[in-house]
Amino acid sequence: MDAGYGVERSTGVLFGAWGSVRVVPHVELALRVEGGRLNASTPSAIERDVGEVGLDARWSASPWLVLLAGATRRVYSTDLGRQSWTTAGAGAEARLPLLEEGLRGVLRASLLPVVSVSGTPGPNLGVRAAAGLEYHWPTVGIAALYSLERYDFPRQGTAQRLEQLAALTLRLDVSPGSSRHR
Amino acid sequence: MRRLVVGIALATLAAPPLVAQSSTADLLQQASQFYEHLDVERALPLLRQIVSPNWPFEVTPAERVEAYKYLGACLALVGKRDSAVLYFRAAIERDPFADLDSDRFTPAQLGLFAEARRLTFAVAVRPVVSARIDPRTERLSFTVVSTHATTLEARVRAVGGSAGRVLFSGASDGPREIPWDGLLADGRLASPGRYELIVVGRSGLVPRTDSARVFFDVAREVAPLEDTLQDLAVAALLPERAPRSAATRSLLEGLGVAGATLAVSAGLSNPGLRGSLRAGAGVVADAATVSGVVAFLVQRGQPEMPANVAANVQRRARRAAENDAIRRRNAEKLAAATLIVTPAAGLGP
Repeated sequence: MDAGYGVERSTGVLFGAWGSVRVVPHVELALRVEGGRLNASTPSAIERDVGEVGLDARWSASPWLVLLAGATRRVYSTDLGRQSWTTAGAGAEARLPLLEEGLRGVLRASLLPVVSVSGTPGPNLGVRAAAGLEYHWPTVGIAALYSLERYDFPRQGTAQRLEQLAALTLRLDVSPGSSRHR
Repeated sequence: MRRLVVGIALATLAAPPLVAQSSTADLLQQASQFYEHLDVERALPLLRQIVSPNWPFEVTPAERVEAYKYLGACLALVGKRDSAVLYFRAAIERDPFADLDSDRFTPAQLGLFAEARRLTFAVAVRPVVSARIDPRTERLSFTVVSTHATTLEARVRAVGGSAGRVLFSGASDGPREIPWDGLLADGRLASPGRYELIVVGRSGLVPRTDSARVFFDVAREVAPLEDTLQDLAVAALLPERAPRSAATRSLLEGLGVAGATLAVSAGLSNPGLRGSLRAGAGVVADAATVSGVVAFLVQRGQPEMPANVAANVQRRARRAAENDAIRRRNAEKLAAATLIVTPAAGLGP
């Protein structure tokens, strides 16, 4: 992030879990919980704890297209205080079958028109994008996704706050008793 | 003179034509009345006229048999036993069903008729009478006869068909009713078509064998049957092998995912922040590229698509089950069919 005083970079490993349930044919609801610590990678940065809860709705419009809508609540905690982020947005996910047995590519993009950050005005731009691979066996799946969130806040005087969150997500899916076609 | 000739011609034209049937029947009736009055001397010439080759009128087989029976009866009355037996045999040979009414003929006549039966060997079948039978509860009855003790076999079969089904096999003497339930040798209901009943007899008294047959048609009255469904067309099945274009498409998709990953990392990130975990994006992009190449190599040989194969197996199984159900329902309808039996015109198919 850059709050007008130089780039502050933090890196770390987050752990999480998520679960989904099909509410009606072609529509799933997914709940996601993540958390971890981001360590300072630049001198100006400070260590932050991150906790996040997200709720997403997914509608499989076709075998290769899924429409998404969801909201996320994220909290950063530092020794100086807490900052909470609330985002809501919608997007789409394209699924590209590479092999019939279950390997597919995933491309995802969402626009976040609603971003609320405590203590500061919301950003002018909020977008999220991801790309990666998923492989599914009948009851188990693995995924590797690269994702990026970008937030550009309105300029205040000579300074403009910029925030960006990039992640490499490794995910293990387990679907007891049935074939997974998420 | 000319007027007289014209008058005779008109009278000839106006006269009713001779009816052969009634002439023979009238003469037979007259002879019968003479016989009833024991006027044998007047009955015999009339009966001999009827059986004579010179008799100008048509004589039906039944009339001829009747004439022979009365001839035999008359001669029996006058004590000409051998001649009586001869005429009785003539009657029996022409109609093995011929018999004397015990109320109208004397024991002596009956005895001579029985002797004629012992000396003559023949088997016969009565023509089939039109009938409608429910094979589950009713039977078609064939009437057969042998003139004396016989080893008899009655067999029904489709004309031109195989050996058929034996309906009766054993000793028999005189008339016999043989029932048929409409089933053939294979246990199935007779299909529509022409059939024949063949009766073969071997005499128990004289070294002779005789046979007779009767033809009849069988039709079925059955509820409308359902057509079975056609086999699934290619368009109704999923492709079981990956198309050749799938390999190229998978390669392009893998490269596309790799490119998109790098584009997200490089193009979407804010340049002012100088850093977007590009190493992570590189890992995913490399994995996508490798996956695309592997998918290309795997699918280049048009591999089988197990999911589609399994789905097609299920579809074919469903179609087979539907057809089995239709065949089962049709079989039940056929089993409940009514047989319509009619005598066949002519002798053969």
